[in-house]
Amino acid sequence: MSGFLLRRLFHAVVTMVVAVSLIFIAMRLLPGNPLVAKFGQHPDAEQMQRIIHEQGWDQPILSQLGRFLHQLATTGDFGESISRSNENVSGELARRIPATIELTVVAMMLAIPLGVAAGITAAVWRNRWPDRLCMAGAMLGVSVPVFFLGICLRAVFTGMPIGFRLPAFIIDFEPITEFYLLDTLLQQRFDLFATACRHICLPALALSSIPMSIIARITRSSMLEVLGADFVRTGRAKGASSWRVVMRHALPNAAAPIVNIAGFQIGLLLSGAVLTETVFDWPGMGKYVVDAVRENDYVIVQAGAFVIAAIFVSANLTVDLLYLWLDPRVRTS
Amino acid sequence: MPARRLALITISLLLLGCTSRAPSKPGNTLIYGRGEDAKTLDPINAETGETVKVLLNLYDTLVAFADETMEIEPSLATAWETSDDGLTWTFQLRDVVQFHDGTNVDADAVIFSINRLRQDDNAYVTDSARPYKPSFNIIDELVATGPLTVVFKLREPSAVFLNNLAMFPAGIVSPTAVKKHGKGFSTNPVGTGPFRFERWIRDQQLVLAANDNHWRGRPHFDRVVFVPVSESATRIQQLVRGEIHIADNLPPAELDELAKNPGLTVAEQISMNVAYLSMQTEKPPLDDIRVRRAIALALDKQALIRVAYAGHAAAAINLLPKAMWGHHDGIEDRPFDPDASRTLLQAAANDKGFKLPLTLSLAVMSEPRPYMEQPLLVAAFVKDSLAAVGINVTIAPKPSEMHFTKLMRGDFQIGLTGWTTDNGDPDNFLYSLLDPDNISDSGNNTSRYRNERVHELLLAGQRELDPNKRLPLYHEAQELIFADVPIVPLVSTRQRAAHTSRIKDYRLHPAMLIRLRQARFGDVP
Repeated sequence: MSGFLLRRLFHAVVTMVVAVSLIFIAMRLLPGNPLVAKFGQHPDAEQMQRIIHEQGWDQPILSQLGRFLHQLATTGDFGESISRSNENVSGELARRIPATIELTVVAMMLAIPLGVAAGITAAVWRNRWPDRLCMAGAMLGVSVPVFFLGICLRAVFTGMPIGFRLPAFIIDFEPITEFYLLDTLLQQRFDLFATACRHICLPALALSSIPMSIIARITRSSMLEVLGADFVRTGRAKGASSWRVVMRHALPNAAAPIVNIAGFQIGLLLSGAVLTETVFDWPGMGKYVVDAVRENDYVIVQAGAFVIAAIFVSANLTVDLLYLWLDPRVRTS
Repeated sequence: MPARRLALITISLLLLGCTSRAPSKPGNTLIYGRGEDAKTLDPINAETGETVKVLLNLYDTLVAFADETMEIEPSLATAWETSDDGLTWTFQLRDVVQFHDGTNVDADAVIFSINRLRQDDNAYVTDSARPYKPSFNIIDELVATGPLTVVFKLREPSAVFLNNLAMFPAGIVSPTAVKKHGKGFSTNPVGTGPFRFERWIRDQQLVLAANDNHWRGRPHFDRVVFVPVSESATRIQQLVRGEIHIADNLPPAELDELAKNPGLTVAEQISMNVAYLSMQTEKPPLDDIRVRRAIALALDKQALIRVAYAGHAAAAINLLPKAMWGHHDGIEDRPFDPDASRTLLQAAANDKGFKLPLTLSLAVMSEPRPYMEQPLLVAAFVKDSLAAVGINVTIAPKPSEMHFTKLMRGDFQIGLTGWTTDNGDPDNFLYSLLDPDNISDSGNNTSRYRNERVHELLLAGQRELDPNKRLPLYHEAQELIFADVPIVPLVSTRQRAAHTSRIKDYRLHPAMLIRLRQARFGDVP
C-alpha cells in the first residue's frame, strides 16, 4: 500500500519536472522573445539587448532551465511578469486559480449527475429511443466545439449575462477567498450571490458539455456490463425493485470506470477551460496563460505550465486513490 | 441523512439567491468595454493602446494635445519659452495643482517624473524597459529655477520636443507615491488627471473615480469602469443590452448595423494613421523600381476601401495622413492602371531576366490593427489585384508580434503594415518609417529604403524650429519618397466607436486619445 503510494508520488514528481522542462524549452525555441510584445512598435535595440542580458536569455537554454528549477525549488516563487510591468505571477495565479476551480466545480456538478443519469437511462433502455436520444446527445456534446456552443448558448439564453464573474458596475465587492459563490454567501450578499450564479451558468454549461457526454458514454457501457452480470439477475430473482437493482446493486459496481473518467475530466477541465474562459471572458488561469503565450511571456507560461501539470498529476493521483478505495481487487494486487 | 440535508440547504440558498433583488446599477458610472486590459498604470512603461486609454485620464502632462486636433495647448505648464539657439526650454507651472494623494505639483515633481523616464540608472525605475525612452534622450539636463519653474536643457535643437512632452509617457507622477509604493506604483498610480485611481482587478475591471479637485473642473462621470471583453461579438451584445456604455474596436460592418439602432450612437473621427504596403527594397525583384511602381499601379485604393473598410477610410497618397500638418497636398496619386503596370513589369522582366508571372510572398498580421481592422481581407485584395497584372502572391499570415519582427528584420518581400501617430509630427512618420537610421533588426524602416537626400531633409526637419522653414523640407522629402516608391500608402481610416445615446459630448481624437473629461450622461443632472 505505502509502496504503491510512494511509487505514484515519485511518478508524479517526475512527470511534473518533465512537463515543465518541455514547456520551458519549447517557449525558448519559439521565434521571438517577450520584449517584442512589450516594446510593440517602439523597439529600442540597445535597451532590449540589455534586458535580455539581465534576464539571462542569452545563455544556453539548459543553464536557464537549471536556474529556473533551482529558483522554483528554493523560493517557490515564479518571479515577475515581463509583459505586465512588476506583476507578481504567483500572486496573480493565486487570484485566478479559484476562478477556474469554481467554474470547473460547477461544470462538474452539472456534468456528473446529468452524465451518469443519461448513461443509466441509456443502459436500462438499451437500443430503445431513450438510449438513442442520450447517445446522440452525447455524440453532439463531444463533437461541437466549445466556442460554437458558447455562441449558441448566448443566442438561445438571451436573458443570461455573458462574460465576467459579476457585472462590471459592481465595485463594492471585495472577495475573500476569490471563490465568488462562496464569498458572496460569506458576506451575506445574497443579491450578488444570485448574480454570480447567473454569470457562471452559461460558461459552466458550455464547459460541462464534453465531460458530460464522455461520462454518459462510459456510464452506459460500464452499466451494460454490470447489468448482464449474475448478481444482478439474482437481485431481480429475489424480487428487488428494478430501481433498487439499478441504483443499489449495479451502479456501485459500475462506478470504478466512471470515477476514473470523471477524475481525469476534472484534470482536463482545470487545465483546459481555456477556450471557455476566452469565449466568456472568464478571468481564470487558462485565459491568463493563453494571453501570455501570445505575448511570449516566459514567466507566466512557465508558472502556468507548472500549475497545470500539478493539477493534472494530483487529479490522477486522487483518482488512483479513489480507485483503490472503490475496487478491493486493486488493493490486494 | 447529511447528504440530503446539504442538498436541501444548497437548493434553498439557490432559490433565495434567485428571488432576491438584482443589484441596481449606479446612475453616473460609465462602463467602457474594450478588447483587452491595460498592462501597467505607470506611464513610463506603457506601450499598448489599451494601456494608454487609461493613463490619459489618470495623468496630466506639461503640455497637451487640443480636444480634437494635434495643436499643443497648456496643461500643467501655463507658459513656456525657448532660447534663441533652441537648446533651453523654460516652463512655468500652474499654481497649486494637487496630485490625487494631496501633495502639490512643483518643479521637483516634474523633474522627478521626466528623469524617471529618461535616465539610465534612475533609482525609482522598477522596470527598465521604457519603450518611449529614446524620444526623450535628447534631454541633457533638468533644472528647477524656482518652485514652479523648470528649465529643460537639450543636447540639440528639436522641433518635436514639445510634441513629445504632450505624449502619455511624459505624464507627471507623484514622487511621494512612487517612493511609497516602489514596484507597486504600476498598480497604485497617482497623477493629477481628471480621474483618480480607485481599483484594478486585472482582466476584470479597472475603476477610476472623478478627481473633485481637477484644475480644469470636476469631470461629469462619478466613476469610469474599464472592462476588457476580448470578443467583439460579445462587446456588441453587451452594448445592445446596456451592460456596457461604450464599445470600441468593432468591425466596420457591425458598426454600420449598430448605427441603425436608435438607442446607440456611432461616434466618428478622422485618424492620424496610415496603412501601407511595405516592399523590401534590398532584395530582388523589389530592388527594381519598375516592379515597385507596377505594384503601386495595380492597386485600386477606392475598391480596397469598399472591400475591406466598408467605405470608412480615405485613400492615402503619402505616408503622412492627409489631416496632419506637413502633408504634401500637391502630390497627385498614381492612377489605378493595370495596363501600365503590366508593361512596367514586362520591361523589368526583360531587363533582369526573370520570368512572368512573378511570385511574391505577402506578409500580413492575423490580428486587427487600428489602421487595418481586417488585415486578411486587405491581403486577399492585394493578392487578387496583383494576380491581374502577372504577380502570383502567396499570403503568409502571422501573429502580430511575429509579423512585425519579420518585417523589421527585412525577412519578407511585400508586407502589410501601418502606423498611428504618437506625437502628431511628420517626423514621427517620415523619420521613424523611412529614414536609413531606422534600418535594423528592430527598426521601423521595414522597406529598408535608403535615400541620402531624404535623410538630410529629415534630419534638417528635426532641428528646424520655424514651421515655415520646416514645411518645404518635408514637402521635398515626400516628393522624393513618392518617386522612389519604397512603400505604397493605402488608406487612412476613420475611427469609430459605438456608445449608448445617453452619452453626450464624447469626442474621439485624431490620435485616438480617449479622454473622458468632458463626456457625460445626458440624463444625469
